Amino acid sequence: MTENHELQPQQTKRDFLRVILGGSLLAWLGTVIYPILSYLKPPAQAEAEVSSVKVGKLSAIEKDSGTLFRFGSKPVILLRSASGELRAYSATCTHLDCTVQYRKDFGLIWCACHNGKYDVNGRNVSGPPPRPLDEFKVIVQGEEVFISKKS
Amino acid sequence: MKPTLKKIYDWVNERVELDNLIEFMGKKYVPVHRHSVWYYFGGVSLFLFIIQVVTGILLLMYYKGSEDLAFESIQFLMSKVQFGWLIRSIHSWAANLFILTAMIHMFSVFFEKSYRKPREITWLTGMLMFFLAMGFGFSGYLLPWNELAFFATKVGTDIAGVLPLIGKPIMIFLRGGEEVTGATLSRFFGFHVAVFPGIFTVLLGVHLLLVQRQGMSEPMSFENTPAGERKTMPFFPNFLLRDLLLWLIVLNLLAILAVFFPWELGKKADAFAAAPAGIKPEWYFLFMFQSLKYIPGKLWIFDGEVLGILLFGVAGLLWMMVPFWDSKSARGEKNKFITYLGLFVVFYIIIFTIIGWIS
Amino acid sequence: MKQRLVILVAAAVCAALWSATAFAGDQCLTCHEALDDAQSKLFKSDIHFRKGLSCVDCHGGNPKSEDMEAAMSKKAGFIGVPKGDEISKICASCHSEAETMRRFGSQMPSNQWENLQTSVHGKLSTTGKEHILQCTTCHTSHGIVSVKNPASPVYPLNVVKTCSKCHSNAAYMRSYNPSLPVDQLDKYLTSIHGMKNAKGDAHTAECASCHGSHDIRSAKDVKSKVYATSLPATCANCHSNARTMKAYKIPTDQFEKFSRSVHGVTLLQKNDVAAPACNDCHGNHGAAPPGVESVSKVCGTCHALNADLFSASPHKKAFDDRKLPECETCHGNHEIVAATDKLLGVSPDAVCSRCHHDNESAKGYAVARTMRQLIDSLESSEQRARTLVDDAEQKGMEISEAKFKLRDARQARLQSRTMVHSFDEEKFRDVVGKGIVMASMVSEEGHRSIDEYYFRRVGLGIATVVITILAISLYLFIKRIERSQHQQ
Repeated sequence: MTENHELQPQQTKRDFLRVILGGSLLAWLGTVIYPILSYLKPPAQAEAEVSSVKVGKLSAIEKDSGTLFRFGSKPVILLRSASGELRAYSATCTHLDCTVQYRKDFGLIWCACHNGKYDVNGRNVSGPPPRPLDEFKVIVQGEEVFISKKS
Repeated sequence: MKPTLKKIYDWVNERVELDNLIEFMGKKYVPVHRHSVWYYFGGVSLFLFIIQVVTGILLLMYYKGSEDLAFESIQFLMSKVQFGWLIRSIHSWAANLFILTAMIHMFSVFFEKSYRKPREITWLTGMLMFFLAMGFGFSGYLLPWNELAFFATKVGTDIAGVLPLIGKPIMIFLRGGEEVTGATLSRFFGFHVAVFPGIFTVLLGVHLLLVQRQGMSEPMSFENTPAGERKTMPFFPNFLLRDLLLWLIVLNLLAILAVFFPWELGKKADAFAAAPAGIKPEWYFLFMFQSLKYIPGKLWIFDGEVLGILLFGVAGLLWMMVPFWDSKSARGEKNKFITYLGLFVVFYIIIFTIIGWIS
Repeated sequence: MKQRLVILVAAAVCAALWSATAFAGDQCLTCHEALDDAQSKLFKSDIHFRKGLSCVDCHGGNPKSEDMEAAMSKKAGFIGVPKGDEISKICASCHSEAETMRRFGSQMPSNQWENLQTSVHGKLSTTGKEHILQCTTCHTSHGIVSVKNPASPVYPLNVVKTCSKCHSNAAYMRSYNPSLPVDQLDKYLTSIHGMKNAKGDAHTAECASCHGSHDIRSAKDVKSKVYATSLPATCANCHSNARTMKAYKIPTDQFEKFSRSVHGVTLLQKNDVAAPACNDCHGNHGAAPPGVESVSKVCGTCHALNADLFSASPHKKAFDDRKLPECETCHGNHEIVAATDKLLGVSPDAVCSRCHHDNESAKGYAVARTMRQLIDSLESSEQRARTLVDDAEQKGMEISEAKFKLRDARQARLQSRTMVHSFDEEKFRDVVGKGIVMASMVSEEGHRSIDEYYFRRVGLGIATVVITILAISLYLFIKRIERSQHQQ
């Protein structure tokens, strides 16, 4: 009996300790597993960005057109001439960093901000742009078209 | 124990004799003395290795080991993947802490002369694992394919290349060509996630098996102490639980480091860009890197750099072979020379690392 | 027979003159004058004749000899009519020697030959033997007079004709530079400079005033006086000179103002030759101030979109009716500074309120006020977004995508500043609206990113609390076990 008496408070303390220990162990598991599970959940944008960007199928790119693509944090314009030739340039206007576009009616790359014009070789031909657009490399592998930095 | 748990335990026990294992561990004692604290560093190193394996596997889910994609995939991981920043930062921090704790573990063993008979194999496997850890660090550093890593790898492999005869083939083998390119990245990636972990696991298995088999090394002073006065604690549960307690603290430390000092990514490597100012190798290579700088270009008829590398190679080899030439400790005698040598090496590494760091 | 007769007569005349003239010693002149040839006649008016030089100094030979054969023999050093580059070399033999020139009491510089050789005229050659022009091409040969003499072909009133002899000759110019225009003279005659020059004003600019004389370089040559970055200073030579300009009653501060303008700073300080120099607005050979109604066309050669929008706007007619120069009314002329949003609206420093007063034309006033409010709100929302992005970046968050979108907001703001020139509230509102939407999207992402930053810290805090509790309870648990081990 006396033994029991002595053990009584210890028993409750130990139980309390076990509850805390077990509880915090579970909580700890939560703090470990939650980040791991969220990590494993595929993000909305499933692919990493690249120094060369796949821009799609050759057949999907119209002739005599210019399309904008995101390249890292900057836009790139991909031109396809009427004869089917592909060229890519930085779409950042060299004047004040606006984004340029292809104008079918002019047959030129055109900046809406100040009417800057570049020819299809990226050369600044009219308006305020001080220098040509930077060129990018276009690589065609089978049907796929890639744009990459010119090294 | 709850009845269901007991049932499961019994079921397993019947088949693999868990009782024996527990009995074995219960009988195992860890010596308690004023240097007992060093025993924990082996355990912490083990824990950090486990962390590396877990976070490494997680990183593999998103990492792409190619020249074009490596940097972008890490950038993507850091910005788009939930907790990607955490996993990567922990992997990087744990790698550095692992080298640090392994180093402390190694020196404590060295000063205690615990490598003496019968633990020569434990020491050897430990040393091999330490070299492998440095290899892990060197190869892993390149994987994000950023500017600093690119040039550090260039310099590192260049150093290997100056060795006479074998240097050039080694360099070409490491780089997968004449220059550091995407081929180097592929190789390093392979070393880092397949070759090294495989070898490491085997060594670690032997290392741990020997520790369990032979028990903790007792300090030399124990031999003069009567058996009754030798203080010990049971390995299970006392020492193991303390180990776990320390692991928890280390884990928290890692989380704090990862949140407050997230590992930076820097700029993407560009082979044609000029080397950025102040390229330094990882801190654990710094003392060697710094020493090589102080060796004059020409020593008598030898090339200074080659001599330096050979010197470090020989020193490393002697260090690894210490159980075989330190016959005094093996006989149980005090060997002051080893202690002074150890102190010299510790101070040398600390001083040269500091000089390398601030210069 | 006839020839002999001529010689005989000549000899007789020579003999007659022998005692009559002061230049009895110079047989060349004596004979040639007797022959009544143009050269010797002209030479009498030549500055070189007056300074005491004679035929022999250029042509060689022996002027003392009365025997013509001997005097004009190779032995006597006679060279006849010099050809090609020899001509200029003979001139240079004196004119490039400062010492010689001083002896004749001349203050002239002595680097003309040197300069000519660096010029486009002294470098180009079609034959490979001689260059485009020799001294005599512009200065003539036997009747050379000082440039200050109205009879000189290089006198300001004559130089235009002299240059145009070649430069207006398309067939000739083609052999050197087929793409060079040949209408400079025609244009010049329409310019204020040309009209005054034609009326006999020797002080207005002619060819050499801008292009230089001996050292004329191609306009594309950076060392040329009319190269874009040097041109303003060349014009300023006269136009900033109060004394020269006094007679014409025009201001002299254009260069000073231009240097402060956005164009001047770009051209002169940043050396960006895409920026306009004087001639880009005023014309070069046909230099004149642009007319009131053509201002927008002139500015529009570069600022095309603005000009198009303006021309289609109601302001075009209103400005023309009131004789207001188009772009200039709001932006100024020589001292155009970079336009800011401050120009727009009805505040004291805005330009709209100069015409649109609160009471009179209330509609314009209201539109101006609204447009200013719109552009201000776009700017502030872009600013807010930028601050958030910067903050997030500062906190080490990866936010390159939001930064990419921020470009669009900025682009909308730049476009809206162009769109102002339509003076159409709806069009303007469209462009500004796009920018504001973009900016608010960026702001949202910035907020999210900053929230994430704090989430990490809170998460760490929670994990730390959990780990601490676990560690403490584990520690107590160990102690408990050890105490029970001791009791055993």
